[in-house]
Amino acid sequence: MLKATLRSFLAHKGRLALSALAVILSVAFVAGSLIFSDTVNRTFDRLFASTSADVMVGPKDDLDEAVPSGQTPTVPASLRERVAEVEGVADAHLDVSVDNVTVVDGDNDPVGSTTGAPTVATNWYVTDRSPVELTSGHAPRGAGQAILDADTADKKDVKIGDTLTVLARPGSFEVEIVGIAAFTTTNPGAALVFLETGSAQRELLGSAGKATSISVTADDGVDDTALKRRIAAALGSGQQLETADEQADSAASELGGFLDVITYVMLGFAGVAVLVGVFLIVNTFSMLIAQRTRELGLLRALGADRGQVRRSVLVEALLLGLAGSTLGLAAGVGLAVGLIELMGVFGMNLKSAEMVVGWATPVAAYVVGVGVTFVAAYLPSRRAARVSPMAALFDAEIAGVGRPLKVRAAVGCVVAVGGAAALVGCAAAEKTLTAASLLGLGIVLSLVATVIAGPLLVRPVIRVLGGAFPAVFGPVGRMSRRNALRNPRRTGATAAALMVGLALVGGLSVASASMTKSFDKQIDATLGADFVVQNSNFLPFSPEVTDKVEDIAGTGLVVRQRFAPVELSLPDGDRVESTAAGYDPRLDDVVDVTYAAGSSRAALAPGHIGMDREFAAEHRVRVGDELPVVFPGKRKAALTVGALTDQDMPEGFGVTGGLFLGLGTVEKYVPGGQDAAVYVNAAAGTDPDTLRERLEKALDPYPQVQVRDQADYKELIRRQIAVMLYLVYALLGLAIVIAVLGVVNTLALSVVERTREIGLLRAIGLGRRQLRRMIRLESVVIAVSGAVLGLALGLVWGVAVHQVLALQGMKELAFPWPTILAVVIGSVVVGLAAALLPALRASRMNVLAAIAHE
Amino acid sequence: MSTPASAPSTGRPGTAARARGLTKAYGSGETTVLALDTVDVDIARERFTAVMGPSGSGKSTLMHCLAGLDSVSAGQVWLGGTEITGLRERELTRLRRDRVGFMFQSFNLIPTLNALENMTLPMDIAGQRPDRDWLEHVIDTLGLRDRLKHRPAQLSGGQQQRVACARALASKPELIFADEPTGNLDSRAGLEVLGFLREAVDQLGQTVVMVTHDPSAAATSDLVLFLGDGRIVDDMARPTADGVLERMKRFDALGAAPPGAPARSGDDAAAAEQG
Repeated sequence: MLKATLRSFLAHKGRLALSALAVILSVAFVAGSLIFSDTVNRTFDRLFASTSADVMVGPKDDLDEAVPSGQTPTVPASLRERVAEVEGVADAHLDVSVDNVTVVDGDNDPVGSTTGAPTVATNWYVTDRSPVELTSGHAPRGAGQAILDADTADKKDVKIGDTLTVLARPGSFEVEIVGIAAFTTTNPGAALVFLETGSAQRELLGSAGKATSISVTADDGVDDTALKRRIAAALGSGQQLETADEQADSAASELGGFLDVITYVMLGFAGVAVLVGVFLIVNTFSMLIAQRTRELGLLRALGADRGQVRRSVLVEALLLGLAGSTLGLAAGVGLAVGLIELMGVFGMNLKSAEMVVGWATPVAAYVVGVGVTFVAAYLPSRRAARVSPMAALFDAEIAGVGRPLKVRAAVGCVVAVGGAAALVGCAAAEKTLTAASLLGLGIVLSLVATVIAGPLLVRPVIRVLGGAFPAVFGPVGRMSRRNALRNPRRTGATAAALMVGLALVGGLSVASASMTKSFDKQIDATLGADFVVQNSNFLPFSPEVTDKVEDIAGTGLVVRQRFAPVELSLPDGDRVESTAAGYDPRLDDVVDVTYAAGSSRAALAPGHIGMDREFAAEHRVRVGDELPVVFPGKRKAALTVGALTDQDMPEGFGVTGGLFLGLGTVEKYVPGGQDAAVYVNAAAGTDPDTLRERLEKALDPYPQVQVRDQADYKELIRRQIAVMLYLVYALLGLAIVIAVLGVVNTLALSVVERTREIGLLRAIGLGRRQLRRMIRLESVVIAVSGAVLGLALGLVWGVAVHQVLALQGMKELAFPWPTILAVVIGSVVVGLAAALLPALRASRMNVLAAIAHE
Repeated sequence: MSTPASAPSTGRPGTAARARGLTKAYGSGETTVLALDTVDVDIARERFTAVMGPSGSGKSTLMHCLAGLDSVSAGQVWLGGTEITGLRERELTRLRRDRVGFMFQSFNLIPTLNALENMTLPMDIAGQRPDRDWLEHVIDTLGLRDRLKHRPAQLSGGQQQRVACARALASKPELIFADEPTGNLDSRAGLEVLGFLREAVDQLGQTVVMVTHDPSAAATSDLVLFLGDGRIVDDMARPTADGVLERMKRFDALGAAPPGAPARSGDDAAAAEQG
């Protein structure tokens, strides 16, 4: 029996190739993401372990900055002497490190990254823990001298002797590059500028008496933890102390967020590949079994029992899974190398030679690969076991239509009703959390229902889509339509692979179109300023920019926006950590705010705060209440609620509660913050276009900010939303690639199955071109029906997602018709592309051999 | 390219197909096997010609070459006035579609199309309208009136073969090739199909070439051509089943003699004995 199985596997290996490809893709993404994250983790563990000071004395842990305030927490520089005196301390260095500077060259082009990676300005000193070493030039010897890291110098062609401008919080200053330092470890992607310690304190922190932290080197033989305890005893509780291990942990967890995203994206790809791959494998095995009905019947007639037949199919699946997993693992290594190289493009120079393949990687690869194949082959194997010994005796046409679809219809209906109920519940829900969980449930159930009922759904869809075929394409059209309907299970499963991907796209594109439209409307309704000056990544910028803007002739009103992290103690006992926006008093002149109670004046008055009406109601806050508020550095205040707003999107950008207050209040409790945006109105008599020109000219030395009017601002928001979509489109691309493989697979096997039929058609005069057209049309109608079903499902999801968004204030519903149309046209192209090889193969068949084909 | 309209009218004898020096070889060098060895043949118009011979005698190959289904190694073939040797694939396809009808032993119909659609398929492919009167006549002659909307799976073997016969007749081809049309049928259904082919010649003025190894089937034809080792070795006008059987037995006697003769299977002998 095993021999028969092996022979059969080898005989069909060509037909299994596409299934194997699906397994390989899934496994490759799983293995690649695991290898990549292992490698990155190992690299950074090493980096942090080798560069962390034995003990680090830094400012106290503070409120999380969901939106950066631009403030740099510091410790007094005088602490260094006290730390140095502690027994067991060999050495203590002041660290001055600021990661929100901008460095520009002589042409006012930024030297650092413009995509969000930090540009770090820090003080220069050499220990055996330094991540860099001087490769040319000398150390900075006072104000106006700096060292640049070699990677950045290479990329931006900066040489010793060049002059750069550093834009820091206290003000901008020029430095001459006197040295180049190369990373001795992995460059984590930042641009680094090193200054002499004293000038770093003055220029970056605005005071010679401050530092951002103190790095302590222990005497030989002194334990880090013991030393940390001794230093803590000497300094009291005003500072945060961390040993080298603790620093590595917290650094890794900070970096982890970004790397986790990459890993999740990769696993998302793997998930899509697995999901779509299952359809492909199920289809392949079903078809192989249908084709081998007589062979299996013969085995049964010769005495093989059902279990043996079933096992023989499963063993074939096992072999396929093993082969696919092995190749997939190899492909995964390649993928990881590619990702590592790609990170190099973004400035993170990992070394592919140091790639880590943990034991979990091959285990996961084989579990996924073999598991998926096994699960996918299980149903077909049961069908194979049901083949009666009589099948060997009949010269029956291998229609493979199988059992009626009643069971599917019933199960599909039940699940669909459940899914519909969940989606309706989601639409009716009042709370975001309830709505979101119902939405998730509804999406899963409706997807399952559509997949189960797929064979039933494709029939009417194909009848309608192919309705015009006989009229347009004659008998070729009629036959292709009927061929597509011949085995609804197969067509359903093939179309389902495409459906899954396109449903996701449909849903997300409706969601993003609705978000975009809502934001557009919100911006139209609220943004009253002529211009907004801000960073395209919403990072804060130095007040020097604001000063420049105010100095321009023709500038009328300037309103600054600045964020501050706060912790609010509310009347209902909740403590909420959030971010409050600070504004200059004349907010009403640049932003239209709708108030439920109070006014801008009341909210922005010193010692006052404003918030969203619903947030206030939820926490039983009323106008006039005095709320205890904690600012960074444990500064406490009591703020009076001056106004409640009634806005569509009070919580945009993660600002829980829509908190806002006067900028004076922010400056009082969070000194040294930076502006997040500056709203500008032209003075009476100044043309806005003229002002814009002047603004742009004046801000040329500050490439971190741009001038935007209402239209530009909408465009900026649109692009933020689009970034999310690009990821989705990439996922879709993968889903489509595998779905195309599925269509190719189905067509190729159908062509083989219908060899005699094709031979007959050719004999009685069907031209090769007509034959190719027949197969192309079948392919197109399958692909388009998958697309139509997927988009229909996706639109339903999109409407449901919109209901959840509406609870967040994004009330507009928009359908991106151009995208939807493009997807439908795209699916036609997919169908045409998938039919290329099967059609070519069919048209190349020898007529006589085809007719004689068994 | 001629259309059904230019097909010869009744009562004007001539040749429907013709081959001169027709040679078909398989393989190359030492292993070359000659399936047809410089065959000269004329297929008379409005006649029912049967081709007989043991397995491997080249009878099917002859039919395939005459019908433009297979390429020839040497020699010339004419269908009506058209030389088909040297025609390109596309022209051959069109020729088959417009001027030739086919019946095969099995798998004669497209399972997704109903009986009527199967009958008119060659004309549909060509984008031509079937001659309504003629089609009605064929349908009635073959007794398929009440089966037109049935799919092949809903028809018996004999009915399927009648539909295939109707398809071959429907476009009024110059020549109908039937490859063992009764091979898969029981004797009653087989006789019925043969009767229809006979009628097609006598009453509808068609030309039929049938390959068979059933002597009683051959007996319904006007002329039997006997093939052996790739050559036409004999013919028999106005054949009878017994006469054909006798002639076939002589093959059995000779069969073992020529060196390098293609192997014979026992099937033919068994089939011959049945007759």
